[in-house]
Amino acid sequence: MIEHAPVLVIALPIVGGALPLLFGLFADRLGWPIAAVTLLGQTVLAVALATTVVDGGAVSYVPGGFVAPYGIELVVDGLSAVVLVLIAAVSLGVLAYARRAGPHADSFYAQYLLLVAGLSGMTATGDVFNLYVFLEITGLAAYGLVASGRSASAAVAALKYLIVGTIGASLYLLGAGYLLAATGTLNMADLAGTLAEAGYDSTLVLTAFGLMIGGLAVKVALYPLHTWQPDAYADAHDTVSTLVAALVSTVAAYALARLLFSVFTVGFFDAVPIAQTALLTVAAVSIVAGSLLAVAQSDVQRMLAYSSVSQFGLVIAGFAVGTQAAIVGALVHLVGHAVMKGGLFAATGIVERRTGARRLAEYAGLGERAPVTAAGIAVLLFAMVGVPPAVGFVGKWYIVVGAVEAGTWSLVVVLLASTLLTLAYFARLFERMYFTAPPSASTTDATPVPDGGNGREAVSTGMVAVVVAAALLAVVLGGTAPLVEQIVEQTVSTFPHP
Amino acid sequence: MTGLATVPPVFVLLAVALLVAVLPRRVGHGLGILATGALVPWSLSISAGVYHDVTFLGFDAVLLNVDEFSRLMGLIFGIIGAVAVLYSLASDAERVQTAFALSYVATSVGAVFAGDWLTLIFFWELMAVTSTLLVWHYGGKAVRAGFRYALLHGLGGSLLMGAILWHYSVAGTFLFTGEGIAAGPAAILAALGIGVNVGFVGLHTWLPDTYPRPHIAASVFLCVFTTKTGVYGMYRAFPDGHLLIAYMGGAMAVFGVCYALLQNDMRRLLSYHIQSQVGYMVAGVGIGSVLGVGGAFAHVFNHILYKALLFMTAGVVIYRTGEESLKKLGGLAREMPITAGAFSVAALSIAGFPGFNGFVSKGIVISASHYDFKKEALVHVGGYTGLELLLLVGGVGTFMSFIKFGYYAFFHGEHDGEVRDANRGQSVAMVVVAVLCVVYGLYDTALFSILPVDVTAATLEHPYTTYTIPHVVEGVVLAVLGLVGFYATKKPLSKLGRVPDLDRIYNPAVFYGARGVVLGTIRLYGAVDRAAVRTATTATAVATHPERVAERFGANSQDDGPVTLRAGIGLSVLVLALFVTVGLILLF
Repeated sequence: MIEHAPVLVIALPIVGGALPLLFGLFADRLGWPIAAVTLLGQTVLAVALATTVVDGGAVSYVPGGFVAPYGIELVVDGLSAVVLVLIAAVSLGVLAYARRAGPHADSFYAQYLLLVAGLSGMTATGDVFNLYVFLEITGLAAYGLVASGRSASAAVAALKYLIVGTIGASLYLLGAGYLLAATGTLNMADLAGTLAEAGYDSTLVLTAFGLMIGGLAVKVALYPLHTWQPDAYADAHDTVSTLVAALVSTVAAYALARLLFSVFTVGFFDAVPIAQTALLTVAAVSIVAGSLLAVAQSDVQRMLAYSSVSQFGLVIAGFAVGTQAAIVGALVHLVGHAVMKGGLFAATGIVERRTGARRLAEYAGLGERAPVTAAGIAVLLFAMVGVPPAVGFVGKWYIVVGAVEAGTWSLVVVLLASTLLTLAYFARLFERMYFTAPPSASTTDATPVPDGGNGREAVSTGMVAVVVAAALLAVVLGGTAPLVEQIVEQTVSTFPHP
Repeated sequence: MTGLATVPPVFVLLAVALLVAVLPRRVGHGLGILATGALVPWSLSISAGVYHDVTFLGFDAVLLNVDEFSRLMGLIFGIIGAVAVLYSLASDAERVQTAFALSYVATSVGAVFAGDWLTLIFFWELMAVTSTLLVWHYGGKAVRAGFRYALLHGLGGSLLMGAILWHYSVAGTFLFTGEGIAAGPAAILAALGIGVNVGFVGLHTWLPDTYPRPHIAASVFLCVFTTKTGVYGMYRAFPDGHLLIAYMGGAMAVFGVCYALLQNDMRRLLSYHIQSQVGYMVAGVGIGSVLGVGGAFAHVFNHILYKALLFMTAGVVIYRTGEESLKKLGGLAREMPITAGAFSVAALSIAGFPGFNGFVSKGIVISASHYDFKKEALVHVGGYTGLELLLLVGGVGTFMSFIKFGYYAFFHGEHDGEVRDANRGQSVAMVVVAVLCVVYGLYDTALFSILPVDVTAATLEHPYTTYTIPHVVEGVVLAVLGLVGFYATKKPLSKLGRVPDLDRIYNPAVFYGARGVVLGTIRLYGAVDRAAVRTATTATAVATHPERVAERFGANSQDDGPVTLRAGIGLSVLVLALFVTVGLILLF
C-alpha cells in the first residue's frame, strides 16, 4: 500500500473531486462531507509517506510501468514530503473553515479537491513536463475558485490571474521545451546529469533557465510579476483567499527550489554566477518592494497580499543562497508562512462577517469587539514579524545564518531590514486593533444594511478555531526546526552534485 | 550517576527561589537551606562529564559541564549558600530578599557549571541582575549604590560579551576548549570584563560602594558569589596565566589592604579585604602553574568560608548595636563571646596565621610566586620575586587591619549598657563556618583532596607542604610585623577622616560626562525629531495616497477621472515580457 502512496496522493483528490459533481445529480450539499473524507485520507497518506521518507530515504514511483527516463516518474524526498503534509493539513484545516463560511456549491468542492490534486502533483512529480501539467491543473482550479466570489471584481481578478498565470505557465513550458532540445530528456534526475554534459553555459540551457524561472516567478508572485496576486487574494471568497494564499504560491516556490536543486543543481550556479546574483536580486527587491507596497495599503487583505510578495522574496532568497542552513530556513519559512498567512486571511474573513470591516481604519478597537479573533491576528502578526520563538523567527534566523555563511552580506542587510519593514505594516494593524478607540456604537451596529447582501453573517466556532489553531501552530512550529534540519540534511545529501 | 544530571541545578534553585518568595517565611527558608545544602552531596557524587549539550539557535551550548573546577565551586557555593540562608532566617530577612538571594546563588551555580562561553555569559549577566535586585531590595542608600553597581557590571558584561564574540570568530565555537579565550583583542576584552567582577584596581570601586549598604544577610551572599565566579571565569579564560594578570593580583592585594586599613565602617573595611584577598587568587591564576592554579582555587574555597564568617560577625554586631562604625563600638568581647570568638577565628584565617585555613591556601599562592614565577617576575629583590613581595606586604597589612577591627570592636574599652550575643540561628551559622575554617587549617589533606589539581604531587618541582618550619615562621613573623605596624600607625590612623578612593573621581566624571551627553543628545534628538516628523508626514502622505502625488506631478493632467496606479492586465503582461527579456539578456 505505502509503495503506491506517491501516486495515491494525486489520484485520491482527483477521484474525490469528481464525486461531488456525480452525487450532485442525486442529492444536495454532499460536497463538504466528500471533501472532508477525501482530505482526511489525503492527510493520513501524506503523513505516512513522510514517515517512510524520513526513515528510509526518498521514494520513487513509476506509474504504468513506463520506465524513466521515458516514462513519468514520481519522486518524494524529504523536501517534497514536508510540502505534501503541509498541503494536506492546510487544505483540511481550511475545509473546517469552509463548513460555515461556504461556498456551499458542489462544484466548489470539486474545484477545491482538484486544486489539492494539482498542488500534490506539482510536489510529487519528478518530471519537468509533468510539472507543467500539474501547474496548469493547479492554475485552472485556482482561476475557477477565485472567480467563484460573488462580486464582479472577483471575475475581473480571476481573468487577470488567468491571463498572466497562463502566460507564465507557457513561458515555463517553453523553457521545458528548450531543455528537451538541449538534452533529449524531461526526467529531473536524468536532466541533472545530461545538463552538465550539454554545458551549463550553452544558450539552450541558459534560455531554458531564464524562461522556467521567469514563468515560476509569476506563480510565486515575486515583484514585479505579482500584479495578479493582490486582486486575486482580496477579491476572492474568504475561503478561497485562505486556501490560495496559504498554498498556491508556496508550492510554486517549492517547484522553483526543486528546479534549482534537482535539475539545474548547484553546479549551474557555480558555472553561471550571474544567474544566482540575478535571482538573489529579484528576491531582495521583492522583499523590500513588497513591504513598501504593503505599507501603502488601506485594505487589510491587500496588505496581507503584498506582505506575501515580500515573504516569498525571503523564501526564494533562502533557496537561492543554497547553503544547508538557508534551505532549512526557506523550508521552515515556507511552511510557517503558509500557516500564518492562511490564518490571517481566515481571520480577516471572520472580521468581515462579524463587523463588516475590510479597511485598516475599520479595524479600530477590534480587540474589544472580537477579542479572540483579534488576539489570534495579533499572535500571527508577531509571528510573521519574527518574534522568537515563533516559526517566523526561526525561518528568518536560519536564512540569515545561511546568508552569513555564504558571505552575501548585502542580502543579510536586506533580511534584517525586512523584519523592520514587516513591523512597519503590521504595527499599523496592531495599533488599530488595540490602541485606537472603536467607532461609536451608533455608526456600527445601528446602521441597517441596505442591500441585504453585505449584512453580518454567521461565524461558527469552527472558523474561529481555525484561526486559533493557526496562531498556536505559528508559535509551536518554531520547535520543529531541528526535525526540518534533519530532513533537509538527509535530502541535501541526495541532491545531484555533478 | 548520570541520573543526577537530569536537571541542571540552576533550574532547581531558581524554582526554589520562586517558592521561597511565596511560602511562609520559615518553611521557605528551610527549603532554601535544604536545596542549597543538597548541592554539596550533588557536587561530590556527580561524575565528571558533559551533560545537556544542546543546540541553541544553531550554536552548540552545554548547560551542565562537570569537571574538577566546577565541582569545587559547586561544593563551596552549596556549603555557604545553606549557611547564608540560615543566617538570613535568623537575621529577619524578608522572604523576597532571600528569594532574590537564592536566584543570585542559582545563577552563579549556572555560571560555574556552564560548558561554553554563551551559557557562561548568560548566567553571568543574570548574576548581575539578581545581585542588583538583592541590593535594591533594601532601599534607601542601597538604591543609588545599586545603580552604580548595575552600570559597572553592565559595562563589564558587555566587554566580556565582546570578548566571547571575538573568540567565536577566531575559534569557530563557543564551547570550552581548555585553551582559554583566543589571544589578541578577545583576551584584552575578557581580562577587562572579568576584571570588573574580580575588582581589578581601578575597576573595583563598586565593591566598597555596594557591599556595606544592603541588609546584613544580603552582604553575606554578595561577598561570596560575584568575585569568586569572576576568579573561576578568569581561570577559564586564561588557564595558562599571564604576567600582567599576576601582577594585577599583587597590586590588588596591596591596594585593597591599604584602603582597608583606612576604613572605619566595618563592612566597608571587609569589602576592601575582598579585593585584597581576591588579589591572591588572581595572582595564582596569573602565575598559571599547578601551584598557582591550585593555590588560587584553594584560596577561593577558604576565602569564601572566612569572608562569609567575617560578614556574619560584622552583621551580628550591626544587628545588635545598630552601629556600623568601629569608632562607636568597643568592648563587645565580654558582651558577645560567641561573636568575638567567631570573629577571632575568621580574622586569624584571613590573615593567614598558622593553624587556620588561610595559612594553607595563601601559602600555596606565595609558594607559587616564589618557585614558579622566577623567570617571568621581571623584578627580584633579595631572593624574593616582585610578586611575592607584594603578596607578603599584603599579608602584613591584613594582620594590621584585622587587629584594628578586633581591637576597636571587641577589645578596646568598655561597652555601655547591655548587648545580647548572636541569636541561636546566627550562632549555629557562625560556629559551623568557624569550625570549618579550623578543620581545613589543621587537616590540610582534606583541602588538597578536593582541589582540581594536586599541589602536593611528588612530580612537581616543589611539591607543597603546609607545615614546614620556615613557613610557620613566616606566618608568625607576618603576624608580629602586623602587630608592630598596628601600634605604630594607631594614632595617625585614628585621626584620619574618610580617605577618597577612585570613585571620588569616577562618580562626578561619569555624572557630569553623562549629563553633557544627555543634554547634547536631547537637543540633537529635538532637531532630528522635528526633521523626522516632517519627513514621516510627507512619506505617509505619499505612501497612503500615491495617486494624489502622481496627480500633483502632472500624470493624467488632461484626462478626467482619478489616477489609478494598479497594473492592468495588459501592463502586467508587458512587465512579465520585459522581465523575462531582461533576464535572458543578463544570462547570455
